[in-house]
Amino acid sequence: MLKVNNLTKKFGDLVAVNNVTLEIGTGEILGLIGPNGAGKTTLFNTISGLYPPDRGKVIFKGVDVTGWLPHKVCRMGMSRTFQVTRAFTHMSVEDAVRVGAYNRCSEKTVSARVDEMVEICDLADLRKRVCGDLGLASLRRVELARALATGPDLLLLDEAGAGLNTTELAGFMNLLRQLNQEHHITLCVVEHVMQMVMGVSQRIVVLDSGELIASGTPAEMSSNPTVIQAYLGKRAIPC
Amino acid sequence: MDLKRYLNERSLIWLALLLAALLIPVFFGTNQYAMVLVTTVLLYAVLAAAWNIIGGMAGQLDLAVGAYLGLGAFTTGTLLIKWNITPWVGMLVGGIIATGFAFLIGFPLFGFKIKEVWYALSSSAMVEVLRVLFLMWDGVGGPTEVYLPTVISPLYSLRFNTYIPYYVIILVLLIGVIFLNHRIRSSRLGYSLLALGEDEDAVEVLGVDSRASKLKALMIYAFIAGVVGGLYGCIYGFLHPSFFSTALSTEIAILGIVGGLGITYGPLLAAIVLVSLKEYLRSQLGGGLEGLYLVIYALFLIVVALYQPRGIAPLLETGYQKIKSLFGVRADVKSQ
Amino acid sequence: MVETATQSVITGVMMGVIYALIALGLSIVFGVMNVVNFAHGEFVMLSMYLSYFVGTALAWDAVATPFITVPLLFVFGLITYYLLIDRTLRQMYVVQLAVTVGLQILMRSVALIAFKAQPRALQYSLIQGSIEIGGFTILTSRLVSAAVSLIIIAAIAYFLNKTWSGAAMRAASDDLDAASLMGVNYHRTYALTFAIGAALTAIAGGLLMSFQQTDPVGGVRYGLLSWCVLALAGLGSLPGLIVAGIIVGIAETLAISFIDPRARLLAPYLIFILVLWLKPRGLFGRK
Repeated sequence: MLKVNNLTKKFGDLVAVNNVTLEIGTGEILGLIGPNGAGKTTLFNTISGLYPPDRGKVIFKGVDVTGWLPHKVCRMGMSRTFQVTRAFTHMSVEDAVRVGAYNRCSEKTVSARVDEMVEICDLADLRKRVCGDLGLASLRRVELARALATGPDLLLLDEAGAGLNTTELAGFMNLLRQLNQEHHITLCVVEHVMQMVMGVSQRIVVLDSGELIASGTPAEMSSNPTVIQAYLGKRAIPC
Repeated sequence: MDLKRYLNERSLIWLALLLAALLIPVFFGTNQYAMVLVTTVLLYAVLAAAWNIIGGMAGQLDLAVGAYLGLGAFTTGTLLIKWNITPWVGMLVGGIIATGFAFLIGFPLFGFKIKEVWYALSSSAMVEVLRVLFLMWDGVGGPTEVYLPTVISPLYSLRFNTYIPYYVIILVLLIGVIFLNHRIRSSRLGYSLLALGEDEDAVEVLGVDSRASKLKALMIYAFIAGVVGGLYGCIYGFLHPSFFSTALSTEIAILGIVGGLGITYGPLLAAIVLVSLKEYLRSQLGGGLEGLYLVIYALFLIVVALYQPRGIAPLLETGYQKIKSLFGVRADVKSQ
Repeated sequence: MVETATQSVITGVMMGVIYALIALGLSIVFGVMNVVNFAHGEFVMLSMYLSYFVGTALAWDAVATPFITVPLLFVFGLITYYLLIDRTLRQMYVVQLAVTVGLQILMRSVALIAFKAQPRALQYSLIQGSIEIGGFTILTSRLVSAAVSLIIIAAIAYFLNKTWSGAAMRAASDDLDAASLMGVNYHRTYALTFAIGAALTAIAGGLLMSFQQTDPVGGVRYGLLSWCVLALAGLGSLPGLIVAGIIVGIAETLAISFIDPRARLLAPYLIFILVLWLKPRGLFGRK
């Protein structure tokens, strides 16, 4: 579904993403982990079109979408959520979802789709509330609903599990599995919450300082010395 | 149940306003000064209501209404003078020319990630550029006023010697633009623009072409301004480069902001209050103090921007609710 | 013809450097705060009038007026910042812009009422006269003004690079949150930035008064010229600002000589619009 070849993104002298190559297969749930500042969000931003890459290619569903504007990438079927929720503060939940829904729907069908998304993400009792008034957990669901409304084939989730408590997390993980199996949406999940990433992903890739350092199944990754080193690395506290 | 009653109440208010507007020429038709005043108020109201689309909904500080107005006026007038084409058609052509021009400015400046301030500065510069260009273009009159003839009939060339017909035409235009505002707000474009104002990146990622949305809003507004420009030329009866007025452009933007960004009746409210104030001041003060109305406009703008950025329309809304509760009427659910 | 062109170019270069100084204030504020002061040109106009009144009242040579006008404009800048700008930083961008547009109209209208349309000029003693070089006449005052502008621009560049406040300003422009974390009080930094921007217009105003008149609507012209230069130069490069200023200055003088005196602002505007169409980051922009 998605092929990323030799992707590089620099900000001035800082190389945020360095020659990253990865693939996401159709129907997969891929986990993307790595320490803070590893470049995960930048990678997402570059793939989804918010920044054009300095080098490399992004091939989505067989089409070269490198450097495409975000709205075009979205029309092709890729959607994403943001790490720091970027809610439409003054709009209501259902209006926010509606904006996304227009991506696939006409004026006639858009309301139905909004209802559907609200159902799936369990936002029915919040739908008329203004986004600015909501708490973090609800906002994450709104972000998700919004992104889902665009009808993606591939959904990139940027630290969508952060700040959730155990119950909320479990619910969220179920929702992701449901989206993947019932709605056939390919997922790429960036996460710090190990429990979520390990529990939901079929495959994991690890990013550190902008480079891809390892990939494999969750079990393999948790015992991989390179990965452990990356996380403990510079801030290792000797025991 | 409540909501339905409220909606009807709003419609009643609009109807009452419409009735009042229709009755004005009946009662004041013979008072030339009054007719000029109300026509001017409505003229400004239409322009401000159109401005609301680019300023209130798309969130761009447009200072170019003078450019579109002037282009519309000169197109319409020249078509009449040179080829005897009726302004009824000329106005539409003027609108199209203005729209094309808007596209030229907007296309590069609404690119994703280009800072909004450049559009504001460009739009203001545009008006001046056009003014100087038309000043130097002797083919359409240069610095002299070019008078519009009455050809075939007053109706054909839209040259009447009373303001009543102009008033009616503008009223119809105003109703149309207000209705258009409503329709846009509940359409895909409206939602996209609203979200654009919140977070441009987030909205692009949801599949909204930010440039296309802003351009649509701009072109709709420019078309209306161009059409009004055509009428403007007919009302004044002549063409002159001073139509490309930066003063008018800033005044319209002020009306839009002070009235209430994105609020449908905001521009109308602001036009009634501010334009009447302006005319009053200009008639009372003389000898150098005529510019005082601009000082007041500027102060209004600053105070509103600082303390009441949503404009004075919401204040009206709150005041209305308070008055109703004074009369013991149950407070209604706010719909906007 | 060639002679006229060369004379125009020479004058244009000098004017251009001065325009660069005017644009500098705008550039610093825009770069650090992402705010464009629509009233910037009016600040120049104000400083020119202040220069006139100080020079006339104190019977000073106008080259000395910046000693008074610079602190005055600095304070004016502080007041403007705290009264107007600081409060709108969290508002929608339209509203932020609107506040400075309001200020622009306010200053211009008040000036029109207070000063009437009659232009004022100062008589200078020190740098009057002209120099003859190779058959071309150069106004001494213009030459000195250009030189002073260059010096000031260089001084500001040094300030931005070498001092704490300067570094704070640069930091605030790059990443507000990081700067706050480092202990930079961004309100103070912003206020300082804005005040410096205003103070710079005082210097420019004084220089301009050595060879020009002032009138209440001059602000429109200086404002538009400075946005022109800024757009052409882009952000982040002070040498770029000088080059852009020179281009704009030459464009203006050539337009006056070869097209029409009324078209004097047409050439800079057209450059402005073309740059925004073709190279929105400016010729030398970093951001």
